[in-house]
Amino acid sequence: MTTLAHRPPASGGQTILEASAIEKRFGNVRALRGASLSIRAATVTAIVGDNGAGKSTLIKCMSGVHAPDRGQLSVDGQPVSFSSSDEARKAGIETVYQDLALVDQLTVAQNLFLNREQVRSFGPFRFLNRRGMRRQAQQLLSDLGIHVPSVTARVRDLSGGQRQGVAISRAVHWAKRVIILDEPTAALGVKETRQVESTIADLGRGGAAVVMISHNIDQVMRLASQVWVMRAGRVVGGLSTATASHEDIVALITGANAGDVS
Amino acid sequence: MELSLRGHTEPATAVSTPDESAALAAADLVPDPDGVDDSAQRLTRLRRIAGRQEFWLDWTAPIGLVFLLILFGSIAPGFLSAVNINGVLADAAIPIVMATGTTFVIASAGIDLSLASTVALCSALIGMTAQHGADTAEICLVGVGTGLIVGLVNGTVIGWIRIPDFIVTLGSLGIAEGLALLVSDGKPVVINNQLFAYLATRSVWLLRYEVLLALAVALVLHVILAWTRSGVHLLAAGGNRQATKALGISNARMKLLAYAVSGLGAGLAAVMLTAYVGSTQPSPDTDSLLLAIAAVVLGGANLFGGRARIFGTLIGAILLTTLQDGLTFLGISAYYQPILIGVIVVGSAVAMRTQ
Repeated sequence: MTTLAHRPPASGGQTILEASAIEKRFGNVRALRGASLSIRAATVTAIVGDNGAGKSTLIKCMSGVHAPDRGQLSVDGQPVSFSSSDEARKAGIETVYQDLALVDQLTVAQNLFLNREQVRSFGPFRFLNRRGMRRQAQQLLSDLGIHVPSVTARVRDLSGGQRQGVAISRAVHWAKRVIILDEPTAALGVKETRQVESTIADLGRGGAAVVMISHNIDQVMRLASQVWVMRAGRVVGGLSTATASHEDIVALITGANAGDVS
Repeated sequence: MELSLRGHTEPATAVSTPDESAALAAADLVPDPDGVDDSAQRLTRLRRIAGRQEFWLDWTAPIGLVFLLILFGSIAPGFLSAVNINGVLADAAIPIVMATGTTFVIASAGIDLSLASTVALCSALIGMTAQHGADTAEICLVGVGTGLIVGLVNGTVIGWIRIPDFIVTLGSLGIAEGLALLVSDGKPVVINNQLFAYLATRSVWLLRYEVLLALAVALVLHVILAWTRSGVHLLAAGGNRQATKALGISNARMKLLAYAVSGLGAGLAAVMLTAYVGSTQPSPDTDSLLLAIAAVVLGGANLFGGRARIFGTLIGAILLTTLQDGLTFLGISAYYQPILIGVIVVGSAVAMRTQ
């Protein structure tokens, strides 16, 4: 590990999520070899690195999908360990995966409230408050500037950008602390990428802690204020986009600067 | 028509608002305008087709039913008499219960091949219980309870041991059929039960008790599927296993729910069938399985899961019963009916795969 990895970030809110010396092994593959980073509120933080650097494994440890073999996660300074993604969600960490976890056949509103439906009780029975959920879904999407034909439209009938918008809205609605986005624009066209990027930028400005994996360094420079660079299962550097250049990030990713190699 | 449709859908797509155009221009990344227009038009067109499919999924059964009533009514006006319509509804009662119950299984992306055998097993056990001098409540409990147990076993094996639905229910089809024949020795038992006779023959206004019971079952199942968390979770699990699992919903529990409801439907159908016929029916009626699944599909359900409506299934079951009774009324061979139903099932599955 380099000293760079522990340099305090230049700006933003308080540290919310911290990963220290996370190790994770799959059979003979050491996916994470002691990765450490911190995530702050009101900040878009990017995690970059080559394929196989361990980015996805690290965010899956943070979102409860994988249990780390070693190392410590802490939320708001308190040590935590998640045995399922459900527990991470309860701790206020929401993740938008590349496959989006949307149900095509259900409506936008049903997807936004899936497994967190609002109910009204009539005696011993509990019925869905469908109108209330539709209204809130409408409100949520318009707050985030996400356009869909209707909250009663089926997700199947939406464009890629609209689907990503719905998935992000769901994460935003339920995330109390951290929103993790795994390559949020990987499958999108230019125009849809723009829409999703502006949503992400708004989230950061609005006070959310946003973590984003991206392969697109230009996008990282545009959106993120903090960048963590991963290589071979470790976080080899932390940069602020206010001071670092595109080339600095690329150099860290490829290990061009001998001094950064851990 | 086409233009006005486009006019309706285009604003809803919200492809480009002035704000976004400004943002795009500022970002110096404006795609060429022609490209935007093309993709916008393509989206609009796609959405219009999708809208049409939604329409047909929802309205095929009601439109088909009206069409059949007009067709049969114009060929043989007697078909539309109150007495005959009443007879059709009475014939539809059991298919309605079986089809609405098994709608839950189709919604979960499964298929309950054991449905008709379960009815036979329940019926055989009803006969055995009646021969031992049980009262009406006990007979009904045995019938419905047996269906529930078969459903729970199916759901448990499919949900937790994760064996494909058709393999498990194909196995339980054989097991239930064999048990039914063993228990009954293949012979029907005449049931002389006053309450059963009432259920099958008496009516409130025009509707027989049996029809009212079927409608009540459909109403309860509709409320569960459309208005409870379990209903939405069931549809979600049928639509996308990975997504529902990622959101903390147990796919296994949804399978258990689906097959339990299907089994309960089979049990209740056995009680109604025994009342309707006046004796038990220990050998399975394969046509009833085919009819139940066809009713679900005609009602707009997706055979691959995630989409199902009880109201659609209800109309689908009435439609297929009308078809069956209409062919008989016109003196056309009843053998055409399973052929037609088979074509409907495979045809709609193909339509859904290729949409």
